[in-house]
Amino acid sequence: MHIPSHPRSEDQGFNMTPMIDVVFLLIIFFLVSSHLARQESQLPLPLPAADAGREIVDDLTPRVTVNVLKHGELVMAGRSLQMADLRRRLQYEFEQQEGRLQVRIRSDRDVPYRHIEPIMLACARTGIWNVQFGVVQRKDAMP
Amino acid sequence: MKRPSVYSRKRRGLDVKMTPMIDVVFLLLVFFLWTASFRVVEYVLPTELSSPARAENAPSDRPLSEWDFDPVIVQVLWPDQQLRWIINETPVNSLAEVRTTLISVARIKSDIPVIIDPAENVPFCHVIDVYDISQIAGFKKVQFAASEEI
Repeated sequence: MHIPSHPRSEDQGFNMTPMIDVVFLLIIFFLVSSHLARQESQLPLPLPAADAGREIVDDLTPRVTVNVLKHGELVMAGRSLQMADLRRRLQYEFEQQEGRLQVRIRSDRDVPYRHIEPIMLACARTGIWNVQFGVVQRKDAMP
Repeated sequence: MKRPSVYSRKRRGLDVKMTPMIDVVFLLLVFFLWTASFRVVEYVLPTELSSPARAENAPSDRPLSEWDFDPVIVQVLWPDQQLRWIINETPVNSLAEVRTTLISVARIKSDIPVIIDPAENVPFCHVIDVYDISQIAGFKKVQFAASEEI
């Protein structure tokens, strides 16, 4: 029987493909997860347009985002909730964060003001004074 | 039987296969294009609510006439799907006029508080318009009126 003269020569070649596969998979996973974590509270909404809008600064202030959909439904952290639940939730978060809470109201531009006013009132009654409205630049606004 | 030489086999093993890499790179490219380019940049309009706790020591529970200066009250109304503005009980016909009025008041004294009092059926974008104008005019204190019964 003929025995190959270099039987191990093939095994010595380091196969990079699975490693590259795994590394790319990890990269994609972290990219997507970090991106989703950032976008978690950014439900696509036609926000009102404004000129005096300021850039979002990612500071360390604890923040909750309240989304108001077209017919006045409230969505917070991906879940829809009623006004009474919102008040309880704001109170809970406010106590958890020891009074350092910021509320960002992202509302559909056509929502009647009667759906926004109770949110601001709930914030004020809870003791939250730091409130922001999500807006887009006027040139970016959809017609 | 002819066996491929050791060199040719070895060389094939070390070849970098470009196809999967290009696949993945294209995937990444598409992902970034999709998430970055077509997303409208979002901004924020900060406001400061006067909460009951903060207002305890503030003079807001005094009657308005006792304030150091009268606030500018901008009412935003929406009768018959038509926008109407009333600034300190004077009707204003257009948003441009609201802008001119607020800017001229702010030039005289920007410490005056502006209170925006929208009707309950006014679409939110029109409330933001007035708030935006007040911010651009340079007013330091812009607040929203709230009805007690909510």
